[in-house]
Amino acid sequence: MSEILIKNASVCDPFQGIDCEKMDLCIRNGKIVESVSSKAKVIDAKGRLTLAGGFDGHTHSAGKINVGRFMNPNDARRNPVPGLSGKVARTEKTRAQVGYNTPNTYAIGYRYAKLGYTTICEAAMPPLSARHTHEEFKEIPILDKMGLTLLGSNWQVMEYIRDKEPEKLAAYVAWALKASRGYGIKIVNPGGGEAWGWGRNVSGLYDPVPNFEVTPAEILIELGKANEKLNLPHSVHVHCNNLGHPGNYETTLETMKLFEKIKPSQERQSLHVTHVQFNAYAGTSWRDFETGAPMVSDYINQAKHLTFDMGQLIFGPAVTMTADGPVEYANSRMLHEKWSNQDVELEDASGVVPLSYSPKSFVNAVQWAIGLELALLVKDPWKVMFTTDSPNGGSFVNYPEVVTYLMSAKKREEVYSGFSELALGKMVLPEIDRELSFSELAVMTRAIQSKMYGRPEKGKLTIGADADIAIYELVPEKIDPSVEHEKVKQAFSATAYTFKDGKLVVKEGNIEASPMGKTYWVNADVPERVDSAMQKDLELKFKKYYTVSKSNYMVEDEYLPNPVEITTKGDF
Amino acid sequence: MQRVNLSLKEKNKIPLEAETLTPDAFAGKTEEEIKALSVWYGNEKRLLGDFFKVEVQGCAKPEETKILIKGDLSRVKRIGQGMTAGEIEIYGNVDMHCGSNMEGGKITINGDADSWLGCEMKGGEILLKGNAGYYVGSGYRGEACGMKGGKITINGNTKDYLGEHMCGGEILVKGDTGLLPAISNNGGTIIIEGSATMPASEMKKGTVIIKGKVSDFLPSFFEEGCEELEGLVYRKFTGDVNVGGKGVLLISEGSLKTEAKKKK
Repeated sequence: MSEILIKNASVCDPFQGIDCEKMDLCIRNGKIVESVSSKAKVIDAKGRLTLAGGFDGHTHSAGKINVGRFMNPNDARRNPVPGLSGKVARTEKTRAQVGYNTPNTYAIGYRYAKLGYTTICEAAMPPLSARHTHEEFKEIPILDKMGLTLLGSNWQVMEYIRDKEPEKLAAYVAWALKASRGYGIKIVNPGGGEAWGWGRNVSGLYDPVPNFEVTPAEILIELGKANEKLNLPHSVHVHCNNLGHPGNYETTLETMKLFEKIKPSQERQSLHVTHVQFNAYAGTSWRDFETGAPMVSDYINQAKHLTFDMGQLIFGPAVTMTADGPVEYANSRMLHEKWSNQDVELEDASGVVPLSYSPKSFVNAVQWAIGLELALLVKDPWKVMFTTDSPNGGSFVNYPEVVTYLMSAKKREEVYSGFSELALGKMVLPEIDRELSFSELAVMTRAIQSKMYGRPEKGKLTIGADADIAIYELVPEKIDPSVEHEKVKQAFSATAYTFKDGKLVVKEGNIEASPMGKTYWVNADVPERVDSAMQKDLELKFKKYYTVSKSNYMVEDEYLPNPVEITTKGDF
Repeated sequence: MQRVNLSLKEKNKIPLEAETLTPDAFAGKTEEEIKALSVWYGNEKRLLGDFFKVEVQGCAKPEETKILIKGDLSRVKRIGQGMTAGEIEIYGNVDMHCGSNMEGGKITINGDADSWLGCEMKGGEILLKGNAGYYVGSGYRGEACGMKGGKITINGNTKDYLGEHMCGGEILVKGDTGLLPAISNNGGTIIIEGSATMPASEMKKGTVIIKGKVSDFLPSFFEEGCEELEGLVYRKFTGDVNVGGKGVLLISEGSLKTEAKKKK
């Protein structure tokens, strides 16, 4: 029985309404408890900011990132954020680390832990490639992981929607989650992945998918319903159509409105819209391109059914990786960049393109502003998740930098004062003076994720929660983040202590231990009669089209050394 | 003026990664301090003094520091990597990555160099008296730009991929080159006095001058008449049209038998 007592912690826990109050935290056997015995190891937090472990709800850290790795061998040498990037030789406690946007798996674990993060959610996992994703999960130390299963351009899904078979659709979704050991439904450019197989794209919510006669709107709404029918812990996680196109904010709003009529099966959103920065563009072309954040945030402010994440841009090199095949083709042609393209058989497409964002580019400058405008214009932090869509908008190691953008108007001004007049005229950021408090930041970086993903043991420091704790090198009452943003950045770049399941993993910015984290997956129960009917159709798919057999397709238990199976019961 | 004499005690079999072997690292240091600099010996971190005899005269800034190295350094990598000033004179052969990422100063090698000589260098000068390996002045894997500035002179021959992805600077090879010299040239100047095979493929910008024999000349260049340079007459080509390139390729008259397509 291991016991730890953290004294003098300045705790900020939005779930309990505790806003930087001095208190003690007791840990026993990896959980937060009421009290510990006198034998407990005592750690003096000295009044420093103490939060629950961070939870990155949308990151590309396993799976497709590997394509990024072999396309960008030069990334291994990059070191723009010293301490959190570049080459680091192995030590007695850590393995060798390389890279910035596409670091090796070990570096991903260590660096997230140094930032005080303890859980990540891989945002896109086609069932066919799930095995590989789990192989990478296995090599990411410290963190708890989960993966979202890609279903938005899946043949079986689209056929069941066309044939109006909601029960079989739900059964297939449940099977796909099980086969991929996935946590929830991810929809990327619904229908677009299939259209890309024919060199095309879908232009909006009502443009039918070639050969399937279903529209993106139908895919969204039917998967949304299946999600609730199965009582899944997370809502559907949507990357909207028309990503990266000027004027796409209208499609984003249409998508959000579609879900007004979906009733969530549990106390959470019925829709999560991801990296909205890339989907909140106004204008008609790249010439008259401007921010659409005010329109999008106006809608979100009055809507109650959704959450979103920022997809904040970071200036410098990034690697875009998405199941949105057509958008990656457009990127590579427009920017004369390297391009990787993949067809995931019956399931989706994908593409990877490295690029670099520059403050001198008016488009990039406005994109940078849009991410922050969204986070600051939406009044309720319980709707905003903090992300850079790592490494699409920029690597997660820049989170401390993004924290300063959100907490200091002065810092934002330092950045945008370097923009051109043209760029400044296309954004509303300079008119926003809101600065986030530590408590609001805690909501966006850990608390909202707990609610969104239905993981009550995460993102909070209540009794019974997982003892995932980050103590940062700053005393909240002695710092003015608005002015001393450099200090805030430094503090958020390396924790004084990170605990994972009550185990000390980071001390003064150095990795102390790298235990294996858990992998969450959802097993949704479907009645036998529905499942067997669905299996018949599925057998045919494997016989006729797949290059693998069904028995070789499932991710076996051996791939998950530390699984946590979440069971739900579907309403049939 | 500071002079540092180094001599390799014994030829090493396991490679030594000696990126600390630069005037920048040595300047203003005593004999003991230089001996205490770290080097990687395989996967072990060791001291420079374990491998080299060190003699120091004077104490100065990097610009006024000259390092003399003797011995068979054919398993010593990264000599002069990233140096910004001063001089290194080497008597012996050197291993890979010598002078890579160099920004200033001068390296003279009285011997042969292995691959990746002067890769991604931004300034300064390398003078190689012997032969070089592959990828002289190139970019490392995945990088869009190799050499961006400075000059590399090679008295001997080089192997394949000379100056790959070069974006600036100059390379002069007095001997022969291997396959695909000046591949993906994007603004550099490469002068080859000896022979070349399939030169300047995927060239976007820059100048390539070849005085010796050219084999397997690529068909993706336009011929644009003749040009006289320092008393010699060259056939002038532009391309590589495969990548919409505007680079200039001058090939000495008589060293190329192929007829290239004339631009309309």
